[in-house]
Amino acid sequence: MSDPLHPNGQAPFSVEAFSCQKAGNARTEYEDAWAIRGSDSPTRCRVAVADGATESSFSALWAALLVESFVRGRSHGPDFFDGLGAIRRLWWRKIRNRSLPWYAAEKVRRGAYAAFVGASLNAVNRGWRAVAIGDCCLFHVTGLPPDLQLLHAFPLTRSEEFGSSPFLVGSVKRSDDDPLPHVRVTEGVLAGNDTLFFASDALAAWLLRRAEKGEPAWETISLGIQTQEDFEQLVAQAREDGTRNDDMTLVRLTRRAGQGRGGD
Amino acid sequence: MYSAEISRKNPGCFIFLLDQSASMEDPFGGSSDRRKADELTTIINKLIHNLSIRCAKGDSIYDYFHVAVIGYGQDTVVKSAFDGPLTGKDLIPISELANNPLRIEDRVKKSDDGAGGLVEQTVKFPLWFEAKHAGGTPMSSAFKTAADIVQRWVAEHPKGFAPIVINITDGESTDGDPIPDAKALGSLGTEDGATLLFNIHLSSSAGNPIELPASDEGLPDKFSKQLYEMSSGLTPFMVARAKELGMSAGDGARGFVFNAQPTQVIQFLDIGTRPANLR
Repeated sequence: MSDPLHPNGQAPFSVEAFSCQKAGNARTEYEDAWAIRGSDSPTRCRVAVADGATESSFSALWAALLVESFVRGRSHGPDFFDGLGAIRRLWWRKIRNRSLPWYAAEKVRRGAYAAFVGASLNAVNRGWRAVAIGDCCLFHVTGLPPDLQLLHAFPLTRSEEFGSSPFLVGSVKRSDDDPLPHVRVTEGVLAGNDTLFFASDALAAWLLRRAEKGEPAWETISLGIQTQEDFEQLVAQAREDGTRNDDMTLVRLTRRAGQGRGGD
Repeated sequence: MYSAEISRKNPGCFIFLLDQSASMEDPFGGSSDRRKADELTTIINKLIHNLSIRCAKGDSIYDYFHVAVIGYGQDTVVKSAFDGPLTGKDLIPISELANNPLRIEDRVKKSDDGAGGLVEQTVKFPLWFEAKHAGGTPMSSAFKTAADIVQRWVAEHPKGFAPIVINITDGESTDGDPIPDAKALGSLGTEDGATLLFNIHLSSSAGNPIELPASDEGLPDKFSKQLYEMSSGLTPFMVARAKELGMSAGDGARGFVFNAQPTQVIQFLDIGTRPANLR
């Protein structure tokens, strides 16, 4: 799906998002979320992707609230997580009046969880800063096809780092569950035509595995995906390669050549 | 092996075998006021409770698992241990089980208030089973019954995750050596792996709880050694998950527990991302 937020070719960034639910699930059961804001702004753009954990309830709602809060806010570091209280209250307000059977009520009491990565980009100096908890990833890819190079993978850098039990951001505050020690932050600068890819965990693990095998898929996800059908084919290929059956999300942000201070 | 996805389309299968024989009326673990039957009842109710919550999703519950609970001992017979509306049933979807407890109690639970303190909350606590203890211990027959259920299950789910049988007992079989029947049960399976048999040994002997050992050294009596011998090895995923959960499981660990409440065993199967910080 193309981002409707950048209406003309003059926008500093081109941003597109693609998503696909777990095989066998209904679209309504998709639990990743993404949000994009300001891709047509002359000054700043914000992107976030979150992945609601299968083993928690109302995690799609939690993931959506996290990404929306991030792109609508101004924080671009660990301070984003200082504001979790307001997001948690919003999550609780949206579900507290439901009449739930005992098991659903107990599951809600334990909270929803999500992995998160968000980045803010400065359209003037081309700098970007990202913050993450868990295993949603950002990849900074540079160069022109067919010579695309991975400059930076964040927060995970190798496929074997992905597991089935990452530390995630919870919707219920607990004193022994402080997310701040788990927050990772990084930054970089986008050259002309550089791309930032944001991916939820299963897709991110597959992309790193391909790169580790010397068969990088950066060109495929740069040029080879223009439509939802293209993305679904990619997902099918990843699953054939043994990637775990999971929701998959890809957000692609490309800095247009010649945009920003001094161009390139 | 042991990598098949567990989902609503490809559900997993748990079969619990409950020793309800007369010897379960004896004291548990050197206790003067707690019987082995009480301990067993607490464990099975907690296991079903945890499994139900694990499968809860939003307003409902996903049938990631089908569950049978078989009792052996009462009148020296082997039969479904369900009471109430589930009487006589063997394998049922977890949703049917979760929605049909014998009764639901209100219990007060202390929870983290997020500020370093505790707050009391009233939570619903369902119960499916009451303590029972009568008759002999036909463990061999119980394994045969489990094998019948497994055979049906694997015929219908040949590519699914291997069934898991969890036997909770004091180990004193009265219908012969149970090892051959345990082995016969373990010879059945799906394309993904052989049936896994785990044993939870509730003994009258006092002694430190033992979880997931890799040898029978240190086990206190012949019954625990026999149950250890019958127990399947944990899969690599299970060993890793057990460690994440703070259990001491090493290479070669078997699904055997002595005088402990291994309610985390329900977490040994992968049904999707599980937050490390989920309590």
